Amino acid sequence: MNTELKMITVDKLRKEFKKTVKEPGLKGSIKSLFRPKTEKVIAVQDISFEVGQGEILGFIGPNGAGKSTVIKMLTGILTPTAGSCTINGKNPTQNRRSYVKEIGVVFGQRTQLWWDLPLRETYSVLKEIYEVPEDSYKKRMDFLTEVLELDRFITSPVRTLSLGQRMRADIAASLLHSPKVLFLDEPTIGLDVVVKENIRRAIEHINRQEQTTVILTTHDLADIEQLSKRIVMIDKGVKVFDGTIASLKQQYGQIREMSFEADSPKAAAVLNYAEHFGLSEDNFSVEAEGKSVKVRFNSAAVPVSEMLSYTLGKISVSDISVKDADIEEIIRRLYEQGVEE
Amino acid sequence: MKKRLRIYWPFVNAGLQEVASYRVNWIFFMLGEALSCVVMYFIWSAVYHSGGGGVMNGFTMSQMIVYLVMIFLTRTLIDSDVSFTVGEEIRDGSIIMRMLKPVSYNATFLFHELGGKLPTTIALSGPMIIAVEIIRTVLDGTFQFSVGSLLLYIVSCVLAYLINFYFNICFGFAAFVIKYLWGANMMKNVLVGFFSGAVIPLSFLPEWLERVFLFLPFASLNYTPVMIYMGQYAGAEIVYFMGLQVFWVLFFCGLSKLLWKVSVKRLTVQGG
Repeated sequence: MNTELKMITVDKLRKEFKKTVKEPGLKGSIKSLFRPKTEKVIAVQDISFEVGQGEILGFIGPNGAGKSTVIKMLTGILTPTAGSCTINGKNPTQNRRSYVKEIGVVFGQRTQLWWDLPLRETYSVLKEIYEVPEDSYKKRMDFLTEVLELDRFITSPVRTLSLGQRMRADIAASLLHSPKVLFLDEPTIGLDVVVKENIRRAIEHINRQEQTTVILTTHDLADIEQLSKRIVMIDKGVKVFDGTIASLKQQYGQIREMSFEADSPKAAAVLNYAEHFGLSEDNFSVEAEGKSVKVRFNSAAVPVSEMLSYTLGKISVSDISVKDADIEEIIRRLYEQGVEE
Repeated sequence: MKKRLRIYWPFVNAGLQEVASYRVNWIFFMLGEALSCVVMYFIWSAVYHSGGGGVMNGFTMSQMIVYLVMIFLTRTLIDSDVSFTVGEEIRDGSIIMRMLKPVSYNATFLFHELGGKLPTTIALSGPMIIAVEIIRTVLDGTFQFSVGSLLLYIVSCVLAYLINFYFNICFGFAAFVIKYLWGANMMKNVLVGFFSGAVIPLSFLPEWLERVFLFLPFASLNYTPVMIYMGQYAGAEIVYFMGLQVFWVLFFCGLSKLLWKVSVKRLTVQGG
């Protein structure tokens, strides 16, 4: 990986939309027909980050955070209100036709495949559109067919494919012209675990083999954990985190989860951690279901050893374990807290 | 040019295959159009009978029939659905998939639609022209077919189609502003039908109105090619009206490019 070489540079990118606000009811409808009231919405607020060549960047955030808007600006579909983005030295909104030849895009919720034609036809259409020479097209198709396992349905019409097949076919379509940058907007949405795993492996393989830079947005954090070392997180249009997963864990991941089987169902009440350690809700939560108890706590506020000795001293337990909070837990907390933190 | 043809040929092909998979729809559409043509015939023959036959505004009864059939043929040949397609793509946001391809946005639509028109053009043109010639020969007693008129008609139809196509592209871009085009599309079709002489020949209008209508782009769509085929225009008039057609092609082509540039800047993609 050559991260010295910057593939993507995003500098104070900003997008504002005008939104028409309709007052409720028929009266409001008529009013807005003649004099629409508009309101400025800032979807993306001065976001900056860089992505090195061959890097896989996980781009995450809750629904409506502005992820798709950023992706659409990077792919040249939307024109930024202010700021700039440069991909491989090019400005996406200038000279669209030469720019899109260098990128591949998959929007999980849309397809670029030709709905009524057999899948193979879509690829031969794309071959002409991207002007891929015959011999490299053959090699490319062989490679993609193998990595994404397309051979079982390549002759079927696209409308008959299952969602998982369609997604694999779509990813292959976006890679046919060997793009330098690949944008994947929720490529695993709605797929089952096995297909997800296949797709992740394929992305990893292509990234390693061809040094393709990948920007990946997803709500499935397993995608991120497996594929990318670094994540950028945005919320309400603002960047809230930019760094490696390890540093995310370090920064926010002092959360530990202790679970045990108590001898009586009243254990949680007997222990009363919150009062004993003086913990606020941010740092602490407890879930009890019959005799089994789960305690999440911030190990910066209460050291693990103290937590353990207090618990063991107070009641008798079986099967006690303490583990690191996984990334899912960290992200969940970050989303809930929002940008205030 | 050859390279361009290779790039856009798949779009022609896709248009063709789509028509093939929606054959029944196509047949019913054609039947409906033919039926309205028959209705028009009965209306006009009533008009001519009550008027005691003879010539009305430069049209004899047999010319009126030829006019109706030729208008039907021309309308079908130059028909363009592209404002609807563009409007839908803008409405549901699938326009972005097209924007991500290194091809001209307008050209993909043009070639796609041309592919879809191929079967209609082949199936309809020959029989209709022959039918028209038979009607003329039987009613007037003379054979009036002219190769020159036919060739000019074909050129004029191509120009008319291009005007219609680019006009509809421009109209489709209105979806950037009004989001849903269905109603506006209906209104447009009715107005264009009237302005283009598809309902009544423009020479039936008051003279000042006819002059205005003849200059508007809509007369170039149906009226001009049909009048040329029927031999109603003399040499200089043909040059003038075809020149006007070329002007409108360039005008709407330019306008569509301009509108695209402006609207893309204010594009808000609907639906994620």
